[in-house]
Parts: sequence; C-alpha cells; structure tokens
Amino acid sequence: MSWELVKPEDTYSPSPGMNQFDDHIRKNVIMTTLEDMIAWSRKNSLWPFNFGLSCCYVEAATAISSRHDIARFGAEVFRATPRQADMIIIAGTVFRKMAPVVQRLYEQMMEPRWVICMGSCANSGGMYDIYSVVQGVDKFLPVDVYVSGCPPRPEALLQGLNLLQDSVGKKRRPVSWVINDQGIYEREKNVVQREFRLKERIAATELRSPDET
Amino acid sequence: MNIDLFPLVLYSAIVIVLIVALTAVSHLLGQKRKDHATHEVYESGQLSVGSAQFKISIPFYLTAILFIIFDLEAVFLIAWAISIRETGWLGYIEVFIFIGILIAGLLYLWRSGALEWRTDRQRMDLQHTLGKGGVVNIKPKSDKAEQHKDAHHGGH
Amino acid sequence: MNTSPATLQQSETELPAVVGQLYQKFGGSSFVRQHTAEGMPTVWVGRDQILNVLKFLRDEAKPRFEMLLDVTAIDERLRIHRDGQPASDFTVVYQPISFSGNCDVRIKVALHEDDLNIPTAIGLWPAANWHERECWDMFGIVFTGHPNLSRIYTPPTWVGHPLRKDHPARATEMEPYSHDDEKVDHEQEAMKFKPEEWGLKRKSDTSEFMFMNFGPNHPAAHGVIRFALQLDGEYVIDVVPDVGYHHRGAEKMGERQTWHTYIPYTDRIDYLGGVMNNLPYVMAVEKMAGIQVPDRVKVIRVMLAEFFRICSHLLFFGTWAVDLGQLSPLFYAFVDREKAFNIIESITGGRMHPSWFRIGGVAQDLPKGWDVRIREFVDMFPKKLREYDKMVMANSMIKQRTMGVGKMNTQDAYDWGMTGPALRATGLEWDYRKNRPYSGYENFEFEVPIAVNGDCYDRAAVRVEEMRQSCEIIRQCLENMPEGPYKSDHPLTTPPIKEKSKQDIETLIDHFLSVSWGPVMDPTEVSMAIEATKGINSYYLINDGGSGSYRTRIRTPSFIHIQAIPFLSRNLMLADFTAVVATTDFVMADVDK
Repeated sequence: MSWELVKPEDTYSPSPGMNQFDDHIRKNVIMTTLEDMIAWSRKNSLWPFNFGLSCCYVEAATAISSRHDIARFGAEVFRATPRQADMIIIAGTVFRKMAPVVQRLYEQMMEPRWVICMGSCANSGGMYDIYSVVQGVDKFLPVDVYVSGCPPRPEALLQGLNLLQDSVGKKRRPVSWVINDQGIYEREKNVVQREFRLKERIAATELRSPDET
Repeated sequence: MNIDLFPLVLYSAIVIVLIVALTAVSHLLGQKRKDHATHEVYESGQLSVGSAQFKISIPFYLTAILFIIFDLEAVFLIAWAISIRETGWLGYIEVFIFIGILIAGLLYLWRSGALEWRTDRQRMDLQHTLGKGGVVNIKPKSDKAEQHKDAHHGGH
Repeated sequence: MNTSPATLQQSETELPAVVGQLYQKFGGSSFVRQHTAEGMPTVWVGRDQILNVLKFLRDEAKPRFEMLLDVTAIDERLRIHRDGQPASDFTVVYQPISFSGNCDVRIKVALHEDDLNIPTAIGLWPAANWHERECWDMFGIVFTGHPNLSRIYTPPTWVGHPLRKDHPARATEMEPYSHDDEKVDHEQEAMKFKPEEWGLKRKSDTSEFMFMNFGPNHPAAHGVIRFALQLDGEYVIDVVPDVGYHHRGAEKMGERQTWHTYIPYTDRIDYLGGVMNNLPYVMAVEKMAGIQVPDRVKVIRVMLAEFFRICSHLLFFGTWAVDLGQLSPLFYAFVDREKAFNIIESITGGRMHPSWFRIGGVAQDLPKGWDVRIREFVDMFPKKLREYDKMVMANSMIKQRTMGVGKMNTQDAYDWGMTGPALRATGLEWDYRKNRPYSGYENFEFEVPIAVNGDCYDRAAVRVEEMRQSCEIIRQCLENMPEGPYKSDHPLTTPPIKEKSKQDIETLIDHFLSVSWGPVMDPTEVSMAIEATKGINSYYLINDGGSGSYRTRIRTPSFIHIQAIPFLSRNLMLADFTAVVATTDFVMADVDK
C-alpha cells in the first residue's frame, strides 16, 4: 500500500463530489459486495459490437490494431452479432436510411448495454446539416459517452472507453431482474472533459510550433 | 454383476445438477428486455426474406450419404481393431478386401465427378488463367539488389 | 432546338475532331456547341437523336469512345448565365471517354419540366443503369426502357427529388428526425428485399433459393452496403447490391458552400483518400480562375497524394487478406499506415481528413525537418512490401482462393465502367497520371503496372505494385523538391499568403472578400479528373457567377464498380463472392457521396 501525505481536500478530485481520500480507500480496500465485483468485471471486459458506419470506423479499426490496441482495456473481441456484444460504438454519420437499421440492432443487443457515440456526425450531425443525415444519434438512442473529433484519434476513442469504464464501475446496472428494479435507471450526468481539464490546459505556457517537426 | 454402478449414478446426478444450476443462474441474472426487435432473427439489421427451411440442392444430400457410408466403414474398422488379436491373419486379409472394395467405390465416385463442387464458370475461369498471375510488365527487384541498395542508402 | 451557332467565348477556329465527325454524320444543324473553361468538346443534341449519337460514338467514331464515364443531370431553372445554350429546365449530360484516342466529349440533352423523359442508354453500356437511377432519384427524370427505375440514394419511402432546387437542403429546414416502432417497421418493410421486383425467381426445378442479406452491418462488407444474395446452397445465383445507406448529400452541399469552404467536404468523399480528394476539386477551381500554381505546390501535392494512395492501398491489402482468412497482415498494414499518418500529421496537422489543399496552393509551407521522416519511410517501405509479397501474395491458399475468381476482360471493363487498378488488371495500360498528366506528374519517372487475367489476384497484385511505384514517386519528390512559395500570387487565391496581406491593401481586401463572401469568378463550366486511389475521380463544376458552385457533380469510381459485382460473382460460391467484394475496393462514402 502506497502512502501519501497530502490533505484530501486540496488535490484534484476524480469525479464531482468525491475527494481523493474516498477514492483511495475504494481503490485499495477490496469491497466484497457482489455488485462491486460484478461491476468491476463488467467494466474490464466491455466487448464492442462490430458496427462502423463511416470514416470514424477506420479510426476505430486503427484503435483495434496493434499500435493502439484496444484489447489492453478489455475490449478484446469485436463481436459480429449484437446478441453477444456489450456496447455499441456508433462510429460515423447516422443516415436516415440507416437509422431503422441502427434501432433494430440496438434492440437486438442484450442487457446490460452501453452506447459510445464517436465522431461529430454521430454526436450531432457534424458538418452535415443535410436532408439525409440524422442530426445526432441521440435523437433515438440513449448515449453514455460522446467522443468528439472528425474523426477522433484512436487515443480519443480509448479515452472515451476509459470514461465509460469508470462510469460502469461506479453507477450500477441491476444485477438481476429478480432482485432489482429493472427497466428505467438513472444515468449519471456526463462530465464535459473540456471544462474538467480547462484549468490545466490554460496553465500551459509552452506550445509546439507547427513550423518544425 | 460385478460392476459398481454407484459412481456412474453419482456422476450423472452431478451432471444434471450442474446443468440445471447453470441454466437457472443465467436465467436469474441480468435483465430481461423485450424491445420490438429483440427476439427477431438477426440478419445484418434488416428483415429477412423467406424462411431458412427449404429444399436445398442435391449435392448436399449426396455428400451426406457418402459420409454415412464411409462413417460406417470406420465403425467396422474400429470393431475389427479391438479384436485384432483374436481374428489373426484371416481377419487381416478380410479387412483388406473390405477396404479394397470401398476404395474402388471411392475411385469411381472421384472419377465420375460426384465429389466435384465447382461450378461451370469456376472451372472455365480457372482453365483460362494465363501464366502465374500478378503484374506482368514490371520485374520485381530481387532481394539481393534491394539489400545492396538499402545498405548503400543507409550508409549515407 | 436552337439552330444558331454558339457564341464563341474563346478564340477557337478549329473544331475538335470528334465534333467534326458528329457534324459530318448527323449534320451541323442538329447540334449546338458550348464552350467550357477546360476545353472539353461539349455539344447539345436533341432527345430523339441521343441514342444514335451515343451509338455512333461507341462504334464508328475515330477514335472510338469505349466507356461511358458519367451520366448526370443539371437543374437549370434558377440559372442566370446561360448565353448560347438552348432553353432547358433539366439537362441530362452524358460523358463518354475514349481510351485509345485519349479524349473526352460531353453530350447534353435539354428537357422541359413537363416532359421529363429520355430513352435509356442501358442497351449501349450496362453501366448506365445506376447512373439513370441516380438521375431519377435526384431529379425525377424518367428513363424509358429502364428495367427497374427505383430510388438508389434516398430511402424507398422518400418523397421529393433532393437535387432539385426546390427541395430543402438542410436537415434543420425539415422536421427533426424521430422514429417510433411503427415508423421503424414501416421503413424496414419498405427496405425489405422483394425478389420479384428484380426479376429473380424464388425457386428452380430442382431446388429453392435462399435470399440472404449480406447486410448493412457485416464485417466483410467494407462499409454500410447491402447485397441481397440469391443463394442455391453455397452457390451464388445472383446478387443485387443496395446502396444509399451512406448518402451524405455532398452534391447538394456544394450548392450551399463557397468555393473555399467546400474543401473539407471533398475530403470525406473517399475517406481513405484524404488530401487526394481535394486535388481534382482545387485544380478545377484553379482552372476556372486561371491560377497557375508554383512548382513547389505541385510537388507537395503529388507527394501527399501518393502518401494517401499508399495508405489506402495498405488498408485494402489488410482487409482483403482478412477476408480471405489471413488475420495478421491487417495488423502489419495498420502499423505501416500509422507511420505514414505520422508523417502526414506532422506536415498537415490532420490524420485522415487534413483538408490541406487550398485554391491556389496549399495551406502552409512544409515544416523544417520534413525530409528526415520521409527518408526513413521511403527506405523502410520497399522492404516491407517484399515481406508482404512473401507472406500474402505468394501464399498458396490466397492464390487458390483468388486466381481465376471474378474474371473480367477489357471489353467487360468498358461495358461496366471499371477504371483504375481493375481496368489495368485486365491488360489495358492506361493511367490518368501518364496519359493526361496533371499537377506535374509528367516530370516523374514511374511505371504503370498491368496484369492480364483480370481476376481477384491480379487486381490485388496491381495495387501492391502501385504502392511500390508510389514509394518511388515520393522518393523523387523528396530529392527534387523545388524552392519557392507555397501559394500562388493570383488575387483569387484563397486565402492569400498571410504576410502579403499584412503589407498590401489589395491583398488584404482579396483576403477579406474571399474568406467571408467567397471568391467570385466569371460564369463558366469546368471539369477536372484525376487518377484517384480507386479509379477516375472527376469533378464537374458549374459556376453561375456566385460565390459558390451552382452544381457540383462528383463522378466517383466506386459507385460504378459496385454495379459490376453481380456480373463478376454470378455462379461462383459465397466464399468467392467475399473475395470479389474485397478486391473491388470500394469505399462507401465514395459510392454514396
């Protein structure tokens, strides 16, 4: 166990309302409730659904490849059928012709299931304010994490996956339909990373010039 | 009977209990969801046309029948293999005749094309393939020449 | 039909050879000639004569026009500057190309709003099938004699014709999208495959057929496309491709953007091509504006375009091997792509969609130290290609699965509109970079690979060799990069070089206007084509004197190539079908724009 001599209040808190001391305890003392174990195992083996729509899928495929390696975060296998997948990465523009297909595939996924929305087009229609594009997949699907970029770098997708894993670890999905109330469950409010990291980004004084490589 | 049945009964009981337990636990765990399309067939996200039970063409049936025949041959051979010492040389010769007849049948099938699955188009296209395939107008540089060139460049 | 001759905007006293032959055969009074900025011979002809004219061009003209490159339409109702052109509400444009004579011609037919039909050209070139469906979908023009004139880009339940000027462009001008179970059911039912519509039987005398969706969501389909397969057990009897799941309305978007702000949309047409997609568009606008770019710009453009050709072919290579069962080459190919993206990112700032070319030049100069990484890449890459040759191309299983599969000869390629590596694999040595050099390609030494069998293996082998040649071109760029400015001095360069605009008031005014309002050029038409990674990619821009384009037509190669897939894979097996789909190398954004 590593020891630290800092005041718990004045270090950066991992999530709003929580301070580092609590988080420290959580990380180091093994909670033995069943829910925690199940949440831990779910978050470390989120298997994505092999679903790519557009250019963002090429960057998602790059995240699978050996240099970025999404498998080290537990997303080992991309299942080709929705029945065996835990999460769906909507990678690319959602088209009007494709929307019923996405809806059908989402319905065929088994609980628990999560949605990562990748790329500007999936988040909000992106730069395609045009007759054939749905302005964001959240018009008909509940989204857990929005990854922005056009297309987002593979590293950005991995960060999105990490954020999803954190939220899966903390906010529980029901273990069984027998003991918990299933159906409607509350989703925790998303933290906008841009606001979260604004302080450290503004403090940066050295910026790399594009004239040299 | 000098066979002790108790281990067998115990083993069967454990198997049944295990299977029931696994099925029951997976039935109780997780959530049940019944959306509109949840229990429909997955066919790449769209509706499927026609059913999956239909009359299929003859080559499949033929392969199945041939499998049955040669599988039963294997069964007979296993039966012989257990009793090889008791049947001795006579049994050995008889099995050879048995295998020989079946090989003759196999050769007949092979030559008459019952094992051939290629379509006419595949056969024709394969026949009309010229040369080794690949690019014809650019000679690949040999490994040695390239290595020499790489070493030369690397030495700069 | 207007019988007076067109007013000459350029001093052209000589008729192009093909136009002279047309006048001779059909009489000069049947045609009206039009002048365009790049000098492509353009004639208007009447609807009753169009099929005869096309047949003459295909069979009897000297040189023969073997392939129909493009069929498109223009909504002329809001166009102001149409001097010398016949009266027309909708114009149908045919563009055959001659490989043997290395020339083009454009034939236009004027149609009136109340009488929008024209006979189909399928009898001459089967590839016209989908072009005509596209014109029906986008404009509402009926092609009489077409076997199945149905929508191709928009969903089957769509009302209206999107590229007409009275159709809303923005999604925010229409109702926000939402769906409930009933609507999803309705749409799915409309999209369900009905074999009778396509003339397919459900059973034969000996067996029943299975219709399977090789769906929009499929790991081997290379994008959101649906192939409805008619299967007799393992054999593929027929295939019906269904596109439109990736339609982003890029052509309609062109009418709403200025010349400069449209550049990012061109990037995303072929999303593996990156900056190479900017090239035909930017060159076409420069042609229109009369801008000559400095030599340094040309060499930078060539270098980056060839890098993207390598990236695109590497992705093809990896996914083709994966489709055939070899899973490792995908990872090797992606690692090489990362190295190339590293270089591209250090130069342009973006990985897949840099949008780095500008009208009149490129966005910035090359950074200091650019040659170090490129030299490393160029030294490392040929070795990698040799390794891939041993690992993949010489592998006996790959050979058995792809040799003799999906064969086509050169005449088939002409009929079905195949260009690019697929055409070169049938034996025709024709590359846009060699036969009609653009952007300085005439100064580079490289070879054009061809193969003779036209099957899957040959198409893949041609692409591998093209990667090698691209590496050679990059090495030549590296060694011979000229010094000079990275943008032209012309006033229509958008945006001009920043330092100049800080010192000179004229340049500042140009900068302000072209970035806010948009560069304005004289009304004309222009088209420019390049040898893109997939085939011939051409942009046909119509300028009506505004700050943006009146009509942007993007002729993409993948759209045409998909039509050939049924022809290539009939009476083969399902496993061969996968190989054919992989070597056709289409990108869905390229198909559906």
